[in-house]
Amino acid sequence: MLRFAAGRPTQATAIDDVTVELAALRGGHVGRATTNALDDEALAACARRAEAAAEAAAASSDGSYPGFPIPAAAPPAEGAFDADTARLDPELGGGALRQIFAVAADAGVEAHGTWTVAEQERAVATTEGAIGERTTDAYAKVICIAPGGRSGYAAATASAAGGLDAAGLAATAARKASESSLEAEALAGRAARVARGAGRLAELAPGEYPVVMEAHAVGLLIDLLGETALNGLAHAEGRGALADRLGEQVAAPAINLADSPRSRATLPRAFDAEGTPKRPLPLIQDGVATGVAHDRRSAALAGAESTGHALTPGGDPHGPHPTNLVLAGGGARGLDELCAPIERGVYITRLWYANVVRPKETLITAVTRDGTFLIEDGRITRPLRDLRLTDGILRILSRTQALTAEQQLTSDGEFYGRRFAYGVVCPALRASGVRFTGAAG
Amino acid sequence: MRSRVSVAWPRVRDLLQDLIDAADHHAEYADARFVRCRSERLSTRNGGLDQLDLDESEGIGVRVRAGGSWGFAAARGGDRADAEAALSRALAVARAQPAATGTPLAPEPPARGAYESPAERDPFAVPREDKLAVLRAADAGLRTHPGVTLTLARFQARRVDKVFASTEGALCEQRLTECGGGLAAVAVDGDESQIRSFPASHGGHVAQGGYERFLALDLAGNAPRVSEEAATLLHAPACTAGRTTLILTGEQLGLQIHESIGHAVELDRVLGREASYAGTSFVPADGIGSLRVGSGQVNVTADATNPGGLGSYRWDDEGVEGRAVPIVRDGVLAGFLSSRETAAELGLQRSGGCMRADGFARQPIVRMTNVNLEPGAAGTLEELIAGTADGLLIDTNRSWSIDDRRLHFQFEGEAAWEIRDGERRRLMRNPSYAGLTPEFWARCDAVCSASEWGLVSLLDCGKGEPGQVARVSHGSAPARFRGVQVGVA
Repeated sequence: MLRFAAGRPTQATAIDDVTVELAALRGGHVGRATTNALDDEALAACARRAEAAAEAAAASSDGSYPGFPIPAAAPPAEGAFDADTARLDPELGGGALRQIFAVAADAGVEAHGTWTVAEQERAVATTEGAIGERTTDAYAKVICIAPGGRSGYAAATASAAGGLDAAGLAATAARKASESSLEAEALAGRAARVARGAGRLAELAPGEYPVVMEAHAVGLLIDLLGETALNGLAHAEGRGALADRLGEQVAAPAINLADSPRSRATLPRAFDAEGTPKRPLPLIQDGVATGVAHDRRSAALAGAESTGHALTPGGDPHGPHPTNLVLAGGGARGLDELCAPIERGVYITRLWYANVVRPKETLITAVTRDGTFLIEDGRITRPLRDLRLTDGILRILSRTQALTAEQQLTSDGEFYGRRFAYGVVCPALRASGVRFTGAAG
Repeated sequence: MRSRVSVAWPRVRDLLQDLIDAADHHAEYADARFVRCRSERLSTRNGGLDQLDLDESEGIGVRVRAGGSWGFAAARGGDRADAEAALSRALAVARAQPAATGTPLAPEPPARGAYESPAERDPFAVPREDKLAVLRAADAGLRTHPGVTLTLARFQARRVDKVFASTEGALCEQRLTECGGGLAAVAVDGDESQIRSFPASHGGHVAQGGYERFLALDLAGNAPRVSEEAATLLHAPACTAGRTTLILTGEQLGLQIHESIGHAVELDRVLGREASYAGTSFVPADGIGSLRVGSGQVNVTADATNPGGLGSYRWDDEGVEGRAVPIVRDGVLAGFLSSRETAAELGLQRSGGCMRADGFARQPIVRMTNVNLEPGAAGTLEELIAGTADGLLIDTNRSWSIDDRRLHFQFEGEAAWEIRDGERRRLMRNPSYAGLTPEFWARCDAVCSASEWGLVSLLDCGKGEPGQVARVSHGSAPARFRGVQVGVA
């Protein structure tokens, strides 16, 4: 992973690590232990810790975990691995940075951002069998800051470094910089244009406004919907936003959301942390809630079956989480078409520091960042002071009027802890009456 | 209190020294860290055991500066060949980047010696059954009200052993042990859901120390009250919109300090190095001595020597001795959280000793030590309440968000107590508030006295790419803020 700021490299990181997570089942309880050492002695010690943990748990009470599945021979997820990316050649990233710096310099803005690739091998083995897969992922982000302090953003996520088109980005950006349509630009070139902005900074009072959200902003909302509404454990415990609401209209009829783990548009994966094969899972169809994501523990609690969304063998304490969400696109040909009907509204490039306020309401708060504009009479007119959005995700989806046909794989690249790359595929959208509670700094 | 107990291994010291010697021929500067982490997490859920995780990891991280650019590589374990490969990789990624001019590092005497944080009772030596018994008793105490549908009780312990060496002659080792826990009750009724936590949300309270830190929480003793408050909140009046006086205590005040002051004075952010991710800061680099960030009541210190603080250590992860750094004095900016590189860039004499890394596989970045609001003279919390005609008291956080310049924030507590005529009265649900950092701190007109001062922990501070999670503490005494916008969510 390479990071850069103000047009110069700041950090370069190369990590080689392994996690072995051993889960022992005793009396319906799972004891877990992890190590990153692979010698026999360390693995045996890890196994003893897992067994001791499970035995301590079993001695305390009867557990309800139904046991691990027999790993099935799931076909590999197509498009999940790229051999060129797996080489992790440091020169590839260095070349990408040089291109981005050159574009930013030509545009008269500072370039900040990240470029990263990774290769992972993942396997689940039980006493009944084993399954494994090899994956790669790549992510790049460019934020340009103009002399006046305004910033613009563009990012891309893919299974292969070639999907970032890093070497070609500079040429694309240079060619597109003078073009007028927002949706035609790409990464650094686009960020540079957005940062320059036009006219003076406009301000909006707190209130409800129609919005156009780029895919990056939509993706963040959809990911948080996974946490608040689609989490099978919260659902089974009555805390989830869709508890007692499956079968109800919870969003606009244009909203169709599914977890599509084998779609090549996502970061495809074949199985979850318990070895359960992944398969398509409809979640919202024509605005009607149809399902939630389960691991084996939450499924047992709900009287359902695992949908292949375990993050940890035995179930993560926070519950399962859908990692290949795809929000279907609509009929809009582009961002200009989304803006066209809006008399006065807000154009949002991305949302930042989003946090759940009240999960049962899917109420979140976040601030806009790196490209917020005023829409007047159907077109973007001026840069807008960043705003704080505080609204319910399902409420926004209920007020969604149009979506672009084009979708994008979005991710914040926040691969904390052991690298766990995932993203949301989604279009840009227009929604009415989105609630803003203040201006940001 | 400092103690000097050797925790390291001659083989590791020799390996790091050899790595550094090898790097010295190829890099302007290099350091290497061996880090071994061990953790234990237990939790109950509705009375049954929910989680029992025992984790261990170890490895070596090598950081080099070559051709003006930084390179960092990490390898698991302590194998010599793997460590040497990591050094080669660090040099390769540094050299592959576009040429840069490196800022000199602020001078620092080489760190030598050993340190172990105090712990009366080794938490890893306590039988697991004992820990479970405490958790089960606490969990039972939570299941005392019919509206409460989910109960959680948690224990956690963590130990980090580190050895550090650099091309400037540093070779030091330290062992840091942490322990703590917490509990929570969730009440659900139809579309309404409320949570109460103790002693803090987001994982509870953890302190540097031994098992005694966990027992001192008295989880079982507090559980019935927490349960009752969760159930009461379901039907409590909602906080209404308007401006009022706010008294913040405990975790909520700690988080307010953390988000609006602590992050804002991280010098890498101030200098624009984190613009692409964590963000920048409203604080200008030349603001020391002139930028007003609060009222005269506001005095903030970053102190890596607080007993029990999760931001306490003898040396940071680039070998700078931990110390106390004034951040705000009488409401005016007095200093920054800094590294050797950022300190030198700003012309400071010395690093603030704030470089911390999340394990062996992450490079150190500017992080908080214990960023504390110094005590004032407003007496006890009850005296502060008695001197407040109307307002709200919030002590536990539920939601937080702040913009990328650390200027506009919005928080929501789990619960608030209405203050009327100088008395703490009924519970209120959904107490949110918002403001702009300097304006908010300018509204601080009272901070309680030293007798009320204590540390709270925050266990999940995210920063950096690849992502790093830091555990920090913040000391404070309850503080009062006038005319704050509330009921915003």
